[in-house]
Formats: sequence, C-alpha cells, structure tokens
Amino acid sequence: MAKVVPARSEVLFLFRSLLRTARQFSDYNIREYTKRRTIDGFRQNRTLSDPDSIASAFSHGKAQLEIAKRQAVVYSLYAPKVKSIMDLKPCNTV
Amino acid sequence: MALRAAILRHVRVPVKTLTLTGRKSQPWGPNGASLRFLSSHGDDHLSKDEVIERVLSVIKSFPKVDPSQVTPDVHFQKDLGLDSLDNVEIVMALEEEFKLEIPDKEADKIDSIGYL
Repeated sequence: MAKVVPARSEVLFLFRSLLRTARQFSDYNIREYTKRRTIDGFRQNRTLSDPDSIASAFSHGKAQLEIAKRQAVVYSLYAPKVKSIMDLKPCNTV
Repeated sequence: MALRAAILRHVRVPVKTLTLTGRKSQPWGPNGASLRFLSSHGDDHLSKDEVIERVLSVIKSFPKVDPSQVTPDVHFQKDLGLDSLDNVEIVMALEEEFKLEIPDKEADKIDSIGYL
C-alpha cells in the first residue's frame, strides 16, 4: 500500500468531515459517541511522527469516515421513535 | 375607524416586542453548544451584540477554555492555547449554535473571535 503522508489541511478536512457526518445520526447516543470517538482518536494520534503510522492512521480515519457515512444513511432508515431524554429541550426539563 | 386602526396598531407593537424578548431569553442549555430546536427563521434579525454574546458563550463553554480569558478579540491558538483540532471543534460548535454551515475554506480561516 502506498504510504503518503497526508498534509495538515487534509487531516483537518478528514476531522471536519467526520464531525459533520457524526452530526447526521438521529440517535443521540450514536451521534455523541461518533463525535467523541473522532475527537479522541485525533487527539490520541496528534503526536505521531513516524510517516508510516501517520499514513496508516489517516487511511484508517478515511475508512471510518466511509463507514460513518454509510451507517448514517442506514440508521436514518431505522431512526428511534422516541428521542433520548438528552435530546429534549433544556427549557422543558427546567 | 381611524382611531380603531390606530389603537390596533398600537396594541400590536407590544406583542411583537414580547415575542422578540422571549426568544432572546431562550436558555441555551448548560453547555451552550447544545442543539437549539428553534428553526433558523427566527434568527434572521440578530443584532450584532447578540451575535457576539452568543459567540462568546459558545467559546466560553468549550471545555479547554478558561472563560475568564475570553474577550471579543482573543486569538484561539495564540491566546487560549488551543490547537488546530480545537479550532475545528469551535467552528463546528458555532455552526450548531447558529444553525448554519461554514464552507471548509472559510472555516480554515477562522482563528479568532475578531475574525468572525
């Protein structure tokens, strides 16, 4: 597999795409998990300096983005009928 | 007849201002960045001060930011010690707050509140 070190802007673009995709999930738990997982994953790998591991982390991220995009579509077909309590308006609960 | 119309017009004014202030005092949730379920139609007529206030509240609620350091002309990475990932997160939080989507090219340029 060709190992090309991604540019900084490419990494940020992947990060942003993952976060955008995460927002599309209708289920609160999945939405928050995807967001959290994305942020944690990028934080964890931010200190990588070896070109090989950077490239593999980047391609892993891209694969995850494809999965997230597909699952966002699949889950939208089977959206939960009841919203999570965390989704309710704060002013309703106060 | 003219008097009636005038009274009606007069009566309607306070009602309008009431709905406006009601919308302004809408709680934003504990973390500010939480989703607001109002449609974006209500946000068309924001005053500049209101926008600044909302931007500041979003940034102050960001976990790594010390709220006391946030001022309208602070720079995210230089003054608040954030990195480029935090930067993206802040822009995403702002998108959620204002229910809009910022194109990537523009989003990359946002590095301070002053820029906004």
